[in-house]
Parts: sequence; C-alpha cells; structure tokens
Amino acid sequence: MVRQSTGLLFVLPALVVLAMLIAYPVFYTGLLSVTDQQGAFVGTNNFAAVLGARATPQAFWNTLWWVGGSIVFQVILGVATAVLLNQNFPGRGIVRSVTLIPWVIPGIVAATTWAWMFHTEFGIINYMMTAPGLIEAPIGWLSNRDTVLPVMIAINVWKLFPFVAIMVLAGLQSIPNDLYEAARVDGANFWHEVWHIMLPQVRPVIVAVTLLLVIWGLNSITIIYAITRGGPANLTLITPIQIFRLAFESFQFNQAAALSVIFFAVTIVVVFIYIRYLASSPAEAK
Amino acid sequence: MGAVTIRDVRKNYGSVAVIHGVSIDIADGEFVILVGPSGCGKSTLLRMIAGLEAISGGEIDIGGRVVNNLHPKERDIAMVFQSYALYPHMTVEQNMGFSLKLGKVSKEETRKRVTAAAQILGLEPYLQRYPRNLSGGQRQRVAMGRAIVRDPQVFLFDEPLSNLDAKLRVQMRSEIKALHQRLKTTTVYVTHDQIEAMTMADKIVVMHDGIVEQIGTPLELYDRPENMFVAGFIGSPAMNFLPGRIDQGAFVADDGTRIPLNPLPPAAEGARVTLGIRPEHFRLDPEGIAAKVVTIEPTGSETQVSAQLAGQDIVGVFRERLSTAPGADLRVSLDLNAVHLFDAATGKRLVA
Ligand SMILES: Nc1ncnc2c1ncn2[C@@H]1O[C@H](COP(=O)(O)OP(=O)(O)O)[C@@H](O)[C@H]1O
Ligand SMILES: [Mg+2]
Repeated sequence: MVRQSTGLLFVLPALVVLAMLIAYPVFYTGLLSVTDQQGAFVGTNNFAAVLGARATPQAFWNTLWWVGGSIVFQVILGVATAVLLNQNFPGRGIVRSVTLIPWVIPGIVAATTWAWMFHTEFGIINYMMTAPGLIEAPIGWLSNRDTVLPVMIAINVWKLFPFVAIMVLAGLQSIPNDLYEAARVDGANFWHEVWHIMLPQVRPVIVAVTLLLVIWGLNSITIIYAITRGGPANLTLITPIQIFRLAFESFQFNQAAALSVIFFAVTIVVVFIYIRYLASSPAEAK
Repeated sequence: MGAVTIRDVRKNYGSVAVIHGVSIDIADGEFVILVGPSGCGKSTLLRMIAGLEAISGGEIDIGGRVVNNLHPKERDIAMVFQSYALYPHMTVEQNMGFSLKLGKVSKEETRKRVTAAAQILGLEPYLQRYPRNLSGGQRQRVAMGRAIVRDPQVFLFDEPLSNLDAKLRVQMRSEIKALHQRLKTTTVYVTHDQIEAMTMADKIVVMHDGIVEQIGTPLELYDRPENMFVAGFIGSPAMNFLPGRIDQGAFVADDGTRIPLNPLPPAAEGARVTLGIRPEHFRLDPEGIAAKVVTIEPTGSETQVSAQLAGQDIVGVFRERLSTAPGADLRVSLDLNAVHLFDAATGKRLVA
C-alpha cells in the first residue's frame, strides 16, 4: 500500500502537466460548445447550427474518403516498399535513405511544391503528360471535381508511406532467419514467404501503424489547407478544415467547438472499434 | 532410394574455406551422426545438404539425383532446426500441415497425416495450441512432427536436443531413435555431444576443422580411433595420453616410467609416440605403476580417480570401491590389449 502511494507521488507532476495540457482544452471546448459568444448557456443550439449547415455532411464524406483512401494506399505501398527494402541488393542503404525523404520534408514545403507541380498551365505533371501525347489538353488537376480529392490523397500517400515502410521494415528485420529457412525447406517460394511468414509476423506493426495513420489522417489539415483551403466548392473540405475555417475565418468559435465535440466523439468511437476488433489479435499475439 | 552421397564437398565463405573436401556415403535408411567440436562445419555441411547454403565444390547426391543446383523444396528433405523454427502465428496443426498446404495436398489428406504424426509424437492434445504455449520438449516434438508429416527421403537434424534440459535430452534421444526404427527414413543428425552420437548413431562421422577425421560405427571409433583427435573426442571421461618413446619393446614415458608392451608396438625403436589409454582400462595392481591420487569421485557404481601418473594428469575409472585418499599412492597397471599408440608427430594411429 505504501509503495503504491509513493508511486503516485512520483507520477503526480506529470499528471498535473498532462491535465493542464489535455484535460483543460477538452473541457474548455466542451464549455464553448454549449454557450454563445457572450458565454451564456444555449443548450444544443450550436450543435443544431453546425449539423444543419450544408457543408457538414459533405465534409464528413470527404473526410471518410480522405482517411480511407489515404490509409489503403499508404499501407499497401508502405508494406510493399518494406518488403522490397528488406531484400538484399546493391545500394540498399542509399535506397532506404532516399525512401525517407518525403517523410522528412516539412508538410507545408511538400504541399507548395506539389501544388506547383500540379498547376494546370505551368505544372510539370501536365507538361510530362501532354508532351508525349498521353493526354491531349492539360488537366485542371486542382479544379476538376473528379481529380482534386484524389490528387490530395495521392500527395498524402506520398508523404506518409515512407513512415509505414520504415516501421514495417523494422518489424521485418526482427523476423528470425530460420523461419524463412524452415519455410523454404517446407516448399515455400518468395510469395509464400511474404504471405505466410512476413505479413503475419509484422501484423502487429501494421495494426499499430494503421491506427496512427487513422488519427493523423483525421487531424491533418496541412496538405489540403495549403493547396486548396478546402475548395473548390468544398470538394476537398474535410471536417478539421471546416472546424478551422469556422473558428479562424468566420470567427464562430462556439459552432467550431460544437463541431469539434461531435468530431471528437466520432473519432473516439472509430478508434475504440478499431482497437477492439483489430488490434486485439487472436491468441498467438505476443 | 533415400541414400545420400557426399563427394569431395567444399565450402568457402569468400576467401575463407570452412569445409575442405568432405566425402561421406550414407545408405538408405541409415542413421548417421555428424559430430565434432563447435565451429568444425557440421551445420554448414548439413545446410548444404538441405540446400540452404550454396555448395562451393564437389557434389551432393540424394536418392540418385545430384542436388547441387536444386532448391530446398525440390530435394525432398525435411529439417529440424536447433531453434525449432516453428511458425509463431500458426497452431501446432497448422505448423505441421504447412508443407502439405504449400504442396497443394487436399485438406482431408493433410488432416489425416497431421493426426497420424501427432499420434506418434503424443501431440494430439496440443494441436490447437500456439508454439508459445508449449514447453521446450513439446516444441521439439512439433518440429519433428513437421518433418515426419512430409515423409521425405531424408531427415536432417541440427542439434535438435541442445535446448532441452539434461533429463529430457536423454528421453528424446531414445524417442528419436525409436522413431527412426519405426520410419526407417535416412537421417543425418548433427551434434557436438559425443554421447548423443555414441548412443544414437548407426554410423558416426567425426569432423574437425572442416575435414572428416574418421567414419565408423560407434564401437569402431571407440575401439580403434584412427588418430588422437578421434581418440580424445570419443569417450567420456576422455582417453588419457602419455607422451614418450619406444625402447626395446616397451613404452618409456618422458619421466622414465617404463611400461612393457604386449603385443609389440609397430613402431621403430626410439620413435616418439603417444600412448593412449581409456580411464576404464586401468587395473588395481599391487605390482603396478605408482599413481599419486589427486581427487576421488565415487558415484556408487564406480569410482573416478584423478591422479598423477608418469608425470601426467590422468583419470581412471574403477569398478572397485577404493579406500584411498588424495595424496596417497595408488598402484595401477594398464590393460595392454586396450593400449593405443599414436605417432607423436602426426597423431595417427600406429597399426600392427
Ligand atoms: N555466413 C558465414 N560467413 C562466414 N563464416 C561462416 C558463416 N557461417 C559459418 N561460418 C564459419 O564456418 C565455420 C563452421 O560453422 P558451423 O558449420 O556453424 O559449425 P558447427 O555447426 O560445426 O558448430 C565456423 O568457423 C564459422 O565461423
Ligand atoms: Mg552448428
């Protein structure tokens, strides 16, 4: 008993700091969401207002596409890269370092660079596609309603797949070599090794990384805000950007807070379901 | 059908040669043990047979087929690893059935063969468990089950018992032996433990620094070691060696102790030789050579004595219960039919 309370004393300073940094803003956001600008209690008015706004459902679906699309490709590309980098080939060290570049570049720099590359008239991408005749006319990547969100997702995938690759690679490198050898003696070819040894062995890493990607995806505004600010016509408006714009462009702090609370609740549910059903792997997990 | 022939096989890692031309003939159904000190190249040789390591020179032939350029999966072999190398994310049943699954054997047939193997090894209650929920001995059995299920031409074992405790090791020794008598599959088994080799093998291959020192049945190696290395490696406690020379039909140790030899040694008068005598080939003899006792270790059934004899530390094992004490003199003679003579320069056995 004595030991327990002593332990508590030791973690107390950290708990106090955590409480101030996390609990206070959460609590204050909750308070803002049920008051008006004068601080008077208004019940669920703010919630009704944000839920009634036309942008809200659109932002919700955009967020779903944004997070879902990003994660699928980040994980597939990241795992494939990791498997590749785990093979023995000359110059592997250099390739490993180069792979990390997108992850190291600051988001705002990457976003601005990509915005220029996708520019309709001056962008290198349209140039490279029109010059050899792949497409006839330049595409307005960032203004076309069918391309703008996929382009955002592509940039996000480019930015984060190295992170997945490095984490999975670390997992792959901890697989004992004799598992591969046993599999080879058992008759496995390379694809069998990937499917029956590598993937099951790095499954816990993939699960954990995916959870991180979900959270980052839900919170990330840098790339989209820097390039399109959610436009055109709200086509790339995701909920965190909607909150940001409500608060700092329209100065509707109370509605922004209400939307934050809803978003927070949905996020918690998503993360909870994820941990409950995916992160809790079957009996074999270590 | 499952014979293995190894012809002048060599292995280099870059410019470093670790196997210098090894030739072994293994008959179908034989249980052959590669034994030798750590680092002598046993695992490397086994892995070359398995196809996990490229062969730098020579030929390996399994069941009448040169396998030098075949993948492990095309060699029809099964291997039990020292670490067991069980797939941690698969149940015992899945571990054992994995090779059949890759070989596109039907589910029904797989189940039948896995069940049969589990029955032989007493693994039935554990089929649905994961490896981490098994004891060391059970894991070891699963690793063997994985090999049995495939019914291959050759079993390869790399020090399969070295991670088990002493008691379990002795038990598994006889189980593996019994399994071999039942399945009669050609087996190549690697160990550094000469007792394991002596008790299990039909034929022992003693390796040392990448070469074969001697091939023979356990008793051949014990009774007629071809050189001092084999003589010293096989048998426990190890053979005693006394350096000296031949003088008028007798052996004269470096300190002058004279041991008359009968039969006469096949060595030239005055030649430098090493006399080898196993601990159990000393006899208590009031007329014998004096040995100064250093320690006495009675085990009940026999007594092990370390002593100084002819200026050398020797170990003797006696069936009698000795009433002597450290520091006392013990008079012993040598069983002359069990004396081994080796050329001091080459270490080779001197044969009559
Ligand atoms: N990949 C490797 N590269 C270089 N040397 C190696 C390699 N693997 C093994 N060796 C060397 O080959 C020798 C034989 O090794 P090994 O076959 O594992 O010995 P054993 O199994 O008899 O203990 C050792 O000296 C070891 O250092
Ligand atoms: Mg070894």
